[in-house]
Amino acid sequence: MKDKKSVSGELGFSDLDSHHQALVEKILRKKRGGDYSRRDALKLMMATGVTAATASNLFVTGGQAMAQTPKKGGSVRFASSLHGPDDQLDPPKFTSTIDYTRGRATYNSLVQHANDLTPQPELAESFEPNADATEWTFKLRKDVTWHDGSPFTADDVVYSMSRHQGEDSTSVIKSVMASVDEWKKVGPHEVKAILNTPNADLAVLLGMFQNKVVKDGTTGDGIGTGPYTMESFEPGVKSVHKRNENYWRDGSNLDAIEITGITDPVARVNAVIAGDMDLVSLIEPKAFRQVEAAGNVTLLSAPAALQVGICILLNTAPGNNPDFVKGMQFIQDRERIVNKLLKGKGTIGNDTPISVAHGTDFCSELPQREFDPDKAKFHFKKAGISTAELFVAPVAPGIEDVSLLAQANAAKIGFDLKIKKVPTDGYWGAVWMKEPMNAVTWNMRPTANSQMAIQFAPGAEWNDTYWNNDRMGELLSLSLAETDSDKRHAMYCEMQTLIHEGSGMVIPAFSNINDAVANNIMGIPKVPLGQIGGCEWPEFIWLA
Amino acid sequence: MTENTAKTEHKANEEEVIAKLDAFAELPDAPPKRRLKLSWVGKIAVGIVVFWMAVVVIGPYIAPFHEMDMDGDDSFLDAHSNEYGTFYLGTDYLGRDTLSRIAFGARNTIGISVIATLLAYCIGITLGIAAAVKGGWTDMIISRINDSILSLPAIMLGLIAIAALGSSVPILISIAAIIYATSVFRIARALGQDIMVQDFVEAAQARGEGLWWIIKSEVLPNAAMPLATDFGLRLVFVVLFISSLSFLGLGIQPPASDWGSMVRENLQGLVYGSYAAIWPAIAIATFTIAINLIVDDISAKSGGNLAKKMV
Amino acid sequence: MMAQMVLRRLGIGFIMLIVVSIIVFIGTSILPGDVAQIILGQSATPETLAALRAQLGTDQPLYIQYLSWLGNMMTGDLGISKAGGATIASLIGGRLGNTMMMAGIVSAIAIPLSVALGLWAAMHPGTWLDRIITFCTLSLISVPEFFIATILVLVLAVELHWLPSTAYLSGDETFWQLMKSLAMPLITLVIVVSAQMIRMTRAGILNVMSSPYIEMAILKGVPRRRIILRHAFFNAIGPIVNVIALNLAYLVSGVVIVETIFAYPGLAKLMIDGVQTRDLPLVQACAMIFSGTYVALILVADVASILSNPRLRQPK
Repeated sequence: MKDKKSVSGELGFSDLDSHHQALVEKILRKKRGGDYSRRDALKLMMATGVTAATASNLFVTGGQAMAQTPKKGGSVRFASSLHGPDDQLDPPKFTSTIDYTRGRATYNSLVQHANDLTPQPELAESFEPNADATEWTFKLRKDVTWHDGSPFTADDVVYSMSRHQGEDSTSVIKSVMASVDEWKKVGPHEVKAILNTPNADLAVLLGMFQNKVVKDGTTGDGIGTGPYTMESFEPGVKSVHKRNENYWRDGSNLDAIEITGITDPVARVNAVIAGDMDLVSLIEPKAFRQVEAAGNVTLLSAPAALQVGICILLNTAPGNNPDFVKGMQFIQDRERIVNKLLKGKGTIGNDTPISVAHGTDFCSELPQREFDPDKAKFHFKKAGISTAELFVAPVAPGIEDVSLLAQANAAKIGFDLKIKKVPTDGYWGAVWMKEPMNAVTWNMRPTANSQMAIQFAPGAEWNDTYWNNDRMGELLSLSLAETDSDKRHAMYCEMQTLIHEGSGMVIPAFSNINDAVANNIMGIPKVPLGQIGGCEWPEFIWLA
Repeated sequence: MTENTAKTEHKANEEEVIAKLDAFAELPDAPPKRRLKLSWVGKIAVGIVVFWMAVVVIGPYIAPFHEMDMDGDDSFLDAHSNEYGTFYLGTDYLGRDTLSRIAFGARNTIGISVIATLLAYCIGITLGIAAAVKGGWTDMIISRINDSILSLPAIMLGLIAIAALGSSVPILISIAAIIYATSVFRIARALGQDIMVQDFVEAAQARGEGLWWIIKSEVLPNAAMPLATDFGLRLVFVVLFISSLSFLGLGIQPPASDWGSMVRENLQGLVYGSYAAIWPAIAIATFTIAINLIVDDISAKSGGNLAKKMV
Repeated sequence: MMAQMVLRRLGIGFIMLIVVSIIVFIGTSILPGDVAQIILGQSATPETLAALRAQLGTDQPLYIQYLSWLGNMMTGDLGISKAGGATIASLIGGRLGNTMMMAGIVSAIAIPLSVALGLWAAMHPGTWLDRIITFCTLSLISVPEFFIATILVLVLAVELHWLPSTAYLSGDETFWQLMKSLAMPLITLVIVVSAQMIRMTRAGILNVMSSPYIEMAILKGVPRRRIILRHAFFNAIGPIVNVIALNLAYLVSGVVIVETIFAYPGLAKLMIDGVQTRDLPLVQACAMIFSGTYVALILVADVASILSNPRLRQPK
């Protein structure tokens, strides 16, 4: 990638690219004889009182932004992979990259993610939990105004955050935010979150796309505090955003951005190579070679925990036979999936939802499950099952191809894996958690704990393999309260082993997040939670 | 004389009359007789169609690989061999053998399109000519129901039907047949109406001929040629309809595929100089063009003899 | 006489719209998943689903939803998109213009071109010229639209940089910039719709050429240009106009693939999006436009065929 290496004096950890981050981690680990975790980083940040001014520097890519001062001016066009009349400006209803990106351009959150997923102050100047993490206090910035000129206050925050709660809440992240009982205004620029269970990760959750702050009483009409003001918005067509001259931070480098969608993957790639678009999200593995060969664009490929998964329901046939699940796990040719189907832009999965992208919580000690047709044959035979049906919709990158490969390999050992391709619309309601075996993916969650809890906590709403393990539930809450990093790591390892051995998940691989941008675009953040640096780019990029 | 014998006698008379009328077939105003003598272009076209029909029948048995096998060294490769066999036309985006997939896909593309089009024609012509001949309320009701379906885009009807009923070959055939029967209906009805007011039909009516006789002897032969031309096109549209469903992620269940979807899934390969998208496109083109050329040849031979002499 | 027929047909057209709206309403609501389920997707819980349904009014029985839609529709209120929250009028407004502009330009090019080429081919049946026209039209329609479109993009946009790869409209372009933006989808659509019209024109005229009165005219020694242009053509108008009408209706409602590949904001894609998000008011509004357009086009086609065939003018 276009990496102009240079390191100047005043840099934070997240300024470094992943390679350097790994190096620093190594050094820190040696120095302190322990683990350097996200949690430590959070403490470090809070102790040193990171200010918003330096924070704005914290989100840009590697050394490149530091090499030159960002240039001002210019405009870009961004084409997302999905858009339609259901495009949203109301954060609690955000569900797709185009919504997230418009949200990032228009609004701010209390807290934002740095490249290593540590929470950084945004609209909150500072944030602190009490000793047992049952109450969080947020001191808000006083110099922030809405696009219509009115001042930003605690009322706006209480209003916005409370929309994820209560009986009539229709927020997409209602259950993610369920640990908060109440948002309370303490002063004109101070709010408190009262929790019903301890949650040391609350600040991280507040960086989620749906947690953007809107003006008190509004439901997302495009009036925000963000780096751009909304000039026009036509759902399913495009939106135009102009630089917010009264922004409370340095503000955007660009004068304007236009956000649109091109749903056809081939057309999207051609558009960026032909120069009609400057950034496009979601590049298919088929197109990697084309993007890499084009002289004017760069392929961004960020390792992430974007699982390419198959979900086997354990409470019904054939998943209620553990040997069937084992058979499905051994028939996955993981090397070929990563090398040939994902063209190397992915990581091998070990049938757990945690990947190296989750950092130190990833259990590298867990032995890798390999492709083994003989073992698969043995388990299928032991289960007495010779055919099964897998429901697939294109919900995850490469999931159809993964299913087809499994089918071809299964056929060679005499197992008839039928593939039932169904439309994506209606999939989550009609197929997922209902059909005995179905394709699944989960957005990467900022913490390993929330990633596992959402899917594997006993009795959880979205326990999609119906695997209820009491020890798993115990460990999920114990690990949240554990502060010793070794013990904590041991707990996370035990949880991943439990999932690897017992759950109905087949996760042969994780896909990278793959996008393409024009070569003259600089300063792209590297937050691995979404397309093009976690959709954080609008405020930070500039044109060389 | 019993009633029965009277009927038989009457029928015999009828047949006699028909035989007499048939003798008039050589008169200029009678429907032209079919004589299947093809030009060399038509002969080549027949050869191509026979070839593809053979592929439909034996393709899967002679294909070097199974359509699901991902045995190629990599995706979008040109012809090569490895320990599994030879990939004569190279590999597709998943490293599958393009030649084998075309051989397997012939069943879906040709099977579905031919059956669905024939079915569409049976439904469309029957109803269309019935509406034209009967007229009045029958015409009105059938036409409006037909128009209601026809006024909605085919791809949307396909989307709704497949989302509701699931995707399988019989369902795809039924959907395509119903959707395309509506256009056949309109053409058949328009032609039927035009013909119904021609002198020879009016004469037949005046002679007191039955409805079916008029349809069989006067309307159908005269409507045959434009309908045949349309048949060839309709067949192409069914092929394209099935492939456009793949554009929405619907259509044939994998690993099976139709040629149109194969074009679609391998489009990216064009950039790399791979022919994985071009071979199935050629397959579609050769099959559909051949069918249409045969249709043209037949209609050129069967009508407008004098007009041809003139040019 | 004619006016009476047109009025009657318009009345029938109105009834047809109601029938279509019922079909579409039922069709869309029997699909798996409702709009609330699709908005919330994987994150749906029973509580959020119930809350959202109550908020959108989709917890009402179907017939009440339908009647309230119908009532609003009659007063000119198209309603609000259930999935996105924008008004249907605002969603449709710009796209209707885009679709009509595209359909208008395409037909202005394609109809004269097709009729001329079809006539030309029909004047020389069985000759090399006829065969070349036939072969070209067949080749162009027998490959999928997305194949033609992608090849055009690869050659004209990615390689040569002559034309933009998408029909992205910024809203303030000059006429020539607009034409340049639209060029690629225009070329694709002209190719797609012309082929069928050329073939049907040719077939229609050849069919008339074999009728007795033409043969009579030939025997009488009327020059062939005169025969085709004065006699054959007018008698072939009925079927030809029908094919043209169906193709125009297709241009308004069926060009999903071209709209998708060139990211052109038109109505066809909007309706597919509406079905996929189970956004009933949006789907209904599109269906009404499509069916209305269709009724109008078919009416024009029928009037044209009646005018062109004096025999049809007499009521039976």
